[in-house]
Amino acid sequence: MATVSSAPAPGMHQIDLSKLSIQQLLQLKTQLDQEINVFQDSLQTLKIAQGKFMESGECVEKMTPEAKGKTILVPLTGSMYVPGTISDTDNVLIDIGTGYYAQKDAAGAKDYFKRKVAFVTEQIEKIKMLGMEKSKVHKAICMMLEMKVQAQRQSAKPSTS
Amino acid sequence: MAEEIQKKMQKELELLGGIQKEYRKGVALKQQLDSQLNENKAVKEELVLLKKDAEVYKLIGPVLVKQDLEEATQNVAKRMEYICKEIKRADDHISALENKQEAHQENLNKLKNDLNKLKIKA
Repeated sequence: MATVSSAPAPGMHQIDLSKLSIQQLLQLKTQLDQEINVFQDSLQTLKIAQGKFMESGECVEKMTPEAKGKTILVPLTGSMYVPGTISDTDNVLIDIGTGYYAQKDAAGAKDYFKRKVAFVTEQIEKIKMLGMEKSKVHKAICMMLEMKVQAQRQSAKPSTS
Repeated sequence: MAEEIQKKMQKELELLGGIQKEYRKGVALKQQLDSQLNENKAVKEELVLLKKDAEVYKLIGPVLVKQDLEEATQNVAKRMEYICKEIKRADDHISALENKQEAHQENLNKLKNDLNKLKIKA
């Protein structure tokens, strides 16, 4: 599970873009491209995790006392199922990470998934904000790059003609 | 003379490449450790939230083994301690490699300058 620290990286300081050379700007641009890609990847992963937690939460809601004794199909492999009956609707085992499973009652499980969804949503928001900031800088660099290239072209023209 | 410098440059470049490779490996290792630490943190929080009499199982291979809540908490704490130590080690490793990288870069620049000077003279 990834946590996002919003603290700025050490060595980060304000740089006047107009003072950088075309080459430096290009370098910065590729670096930002990579960072934005990483953010998008993590966003995707987090959204998948969010969906899984939500699904599990919905499953717990269905484990009502009325479901006791009902038959279900238990998957042994992805393609093979055996019939079974629900004998305990009050307790569920939850994978809490690193190989640990904890027994919780229905209310506790619901609460667990609610918390997890909230946590992941929070992380998604954080990454979205960071990503937006990065794309702003990215845009600024692209604009500056274009200006520089044009200026260079113009200064090159008179000398050739 | 120029040939000699070029040979030296080649050697420096090779060394630099090796260090960069190791550097990337170090950074990847650190990221892995970081995510492990975060996962353990989440587990620890969850274990603290559990009721005293809640049953905790540990997945060992394909089987779930019942474990004491106390024991599990201790285990997670120990593991976090270990991972923190590993992270510190990885950090040291990375900064050492950074220094090495810089030194080689400097050497390379110096050699480049020497070569340029020779070319101008020639």
